[in-house]
Amino acid sequence: MSDARHEVDERWILRTELLWAFGVGVFIAAALGMILFTALTISVNPPSNVERIDPKALHLSGEFAEHNLGTTVSGDGTVIVRAIATQFMFVPQCIAVPANRRVTLRFASPDVIHGLLITGTNVNTMVIPGFVAQVHTEFTRTGDLLMPCHEYCGQGHSEMWATVQVLPENRFKPGSDGRVSCAQR
Amino acid sequence: MISADQSSAIDSDPEAADDVDEAALASVLRTVPLGAAVLAGSTVALLVIGYLIVYLLVFIPRGIVG
Repeated sequence: MSDARHEVDERWILRTELLWAFGVGVFIAAALGMILFTALTISVNPPSNVERIDPKALHLSGEFAEHNLGTTVSGDGTVIVRAIATQFMFVPQCIAVPANRRVTLRFASPDVIHGLLITGTNVNTMVIPGFVAQVHTEFTRTGDLLMPCHEYCGQGHSEMWATVQVLPENRFKPGSDGRVSCAQR
Repeated sequence: MISADQSSAIDSDPEAADDVDEAALASVLRTVPLGAAVLAGSTVALLVIGYLIVYLLVFIPRGIVG
């Protein structure tokens, strides 16, 4: 191959590589821009919460004691759900939440690593003993949603699931203590 | 079992076996980068389209999370 030909080819390859790098750069910028846009406009973020809790004393007192589990509506209207993921069940088994309202879900585990997702939503987190897993979300559709454990936690793992009952605002009625349970059917 | 009169591929000279015309080789090499770019480009484009479909039509309609 002549030197001139070789030089032309090198220029062509360089141009192709620069064009490729530009295309990849545009895609990365667009993807990051989209993530940033949704984070700033509709608060879509990866759930992140580093909060320690003593897994050996979960049931004894404090936030995750049995009488505190379930859905609570505080005075300012904030909806907080507290649940324990344990071998091989979620406590409580059914969680009532309002539709189209911001909900804070808080989970803790006293034994091994669990995980959960709520079908048809973006709620998806691990529950690690010693930490509180916290997710903020808003349920857009009413009805019963399945909440299975998605982190293998032992022989009863496949039996470990709960129900999230998304109620319309007019049926989401907290009692005098601010607590809401699943509607009986 | 290989008999004495049979030659194996190892014995043959690789340079001699590769009897390719220089001009033909240069012509093929000129078009190869374009083909690679088209193949890589269409593959990445399909991935990007898949990502956009899942992000915009599945992830976003499922509601906020944070």
